[in-house]
Amino acid sequence: MTGAIAGYLPLFDLYLIHLGLAFSQYIVLRAGVFSLATAALAGIGAYTAGIFAVNLGMHPILGLVAGTLTGMGAAVVLSIPLARLRGVYQAIATVAFIQIVLSLNIYSESLTGGAMGLNNIPKTVGTVTLLVFAAGATYLIWALERGRIGRAFDAIRQDEAVAASLGISITRHQTLAFALSGALAGLFGGLEAYHAYALDPNQFGFHLLITVLSYVILGGRNSVAGPLLGTALLIILPELARPLAENRMIIYGIMLIVVINYLPKGVADTFLDWWRARRLGRQGGAP
Amino acid sequence: MLEIADLRVSYAGIQALRGVSLNVEAGETVALIGPNGAGKSSLLNAVSGLVRPAGGSIALNGTDIAGSSPWRVTEAGVLQVPEGRQVFAEMTVLENLQVGQTALHGRDPTYSLADVYRVFPILDERRDQRAGSLSGGQQQMLVIGRALMGGPRLLLLDEPSLGLAPVIIEQVFAALARLKEAGLTILLVEQNAHLALTASDRAYVIEQGVIEKSGASADLARDPDVTALYLGQT
Repeated sequence: MTGAIAGYLPLFDLYLIHLGLAFSQYIVLRAGVFSLATAALAGIGAYTAGIFAVNLGMHPILGLVAGTLTGMGAAVVLSIPLARLRGVYQAIATVAFIQIVLSLNIYSESLTGGAMGLNNIPKTVGTVTLLVFAAGATYLIWALERGRIGRAFDAIRQDEAVAASLGISITRHQTLAFALSGALAGLFGGLEAYHAYALDPNQFGFHLLITVLSYVILGGRNSVAGPLLGTALLIILPELARPLAENRMIIYGIMLIVVINYLPKGVADTFLDWWRARRLGRQGGAP
Repeated sequence: MLEIADLRVSYAGIQALRGVSLNVEAGETVALIGPNGAGKSSLLNAVSGLVRPAGGSIALNGTDIAGSSPWRVTEAGVLQVPEGRQVFAEMTVLENLQVGQTALHGRDPTYSLADVYRVFPILDERRDQRAGSLSGGQQQMLVIGRALMGGPRLLLLDEPSLGLAPVIIEQVFAALARLKEAGLTILLVEQNAHLALTASDRAYVIEQGVIEKSGASADLARDPDVTALYLGQT
């Protein structure tokens, strides 16, 4: 029995790390920014943390702080040109950003190990540490979206001009969303570095972008339950049968097409809407 | 309270406002009437900071606010109710009202949630419902209520009667009359001239970006040019 649980532990660890990345993607979408930069920001955080441990011999806590701060810093800098763009143009610019980070990573071989990757990182992060950080991130997002900031994000996403006319500063809130997204990506990238022994530059490329975006689209973009559920579904489903796991990207593609067409709000949000409507109906306040 | 002088607004070289001057005193309801495309909404958007004026001045209690960000304008207590009942459809009624509080920026509210519910009781009944599921009239009440939550000293109303049934329009304007009685200053933009002249103390007639006439609403309602052009009487 314990053997069976231990067998699934690596999958659970993967879930916890990717949950943090899913929240990083979630928070920018929630604030109405179509940024796909999470993969690159996670790479920046992971490599910063890795370099702190391998090249500088620093304590992992310092490495995680450094990873979080560089991820956040990169995101804030990126938010300046992105504030002038909207919608699909933001997405294109952030995909370009991922390519730039990837190329820089490969060219600065002396620092990052180039195409060979960064190896021999001491493993200092286990399931318990991941669980603590994932729970912390979940709480942060949950608290944020129930408060004033969450409502301002919703207002901006639904109608930017009206939000501005109500005195909501668009730039300030979107910069905040970027900073949070970058900090989360940097932190969980750093955790990945200390959990996996080695980093490979291609780990933080287009593939990760699609994966993380899928978690949020599938789960839902309007509640903390979305990333929690979407990440779980997409990590567990392909593991149920080996042939599925080998064709993971095909499964993701099919699931995305099905969900976008039939549950455009995502699995979790569709359920929550249904539940709320039912509760309202019972109270006799039917629309 | 609001003093606009020689205000000019243009979009990509086309002039929407060509030197407009008007003023609104504290406690007054002032109407701006005129046909489609005359520049009524441009004027409101310039005051609220959504559009940057090309020239002229907009003074609020003596301070020039022309070209300020919408954030600053709301901080000064000028709240716009945009045209077309733009509620946040995915949020509940209550959440929409709570978003309105953003405009307080730490100022004391002038209308509490209970006050807004007293003005529009239907909002209290529907508070947990998605705003998108409200009727047009209820949505118009919600966007006015949302602006009230932001503690307005001056309320800018853009076409509040647009697309509403006559009986609903009556309810909305009855509520506006109560707000005016309680001391709120209102600048009202309307295509429905009859309605606007009934609800206001003074009015301006704007055509092609220029003020053509102004005066007490009761006088304008009897002015032969105005009645011929806007009130459908000959």
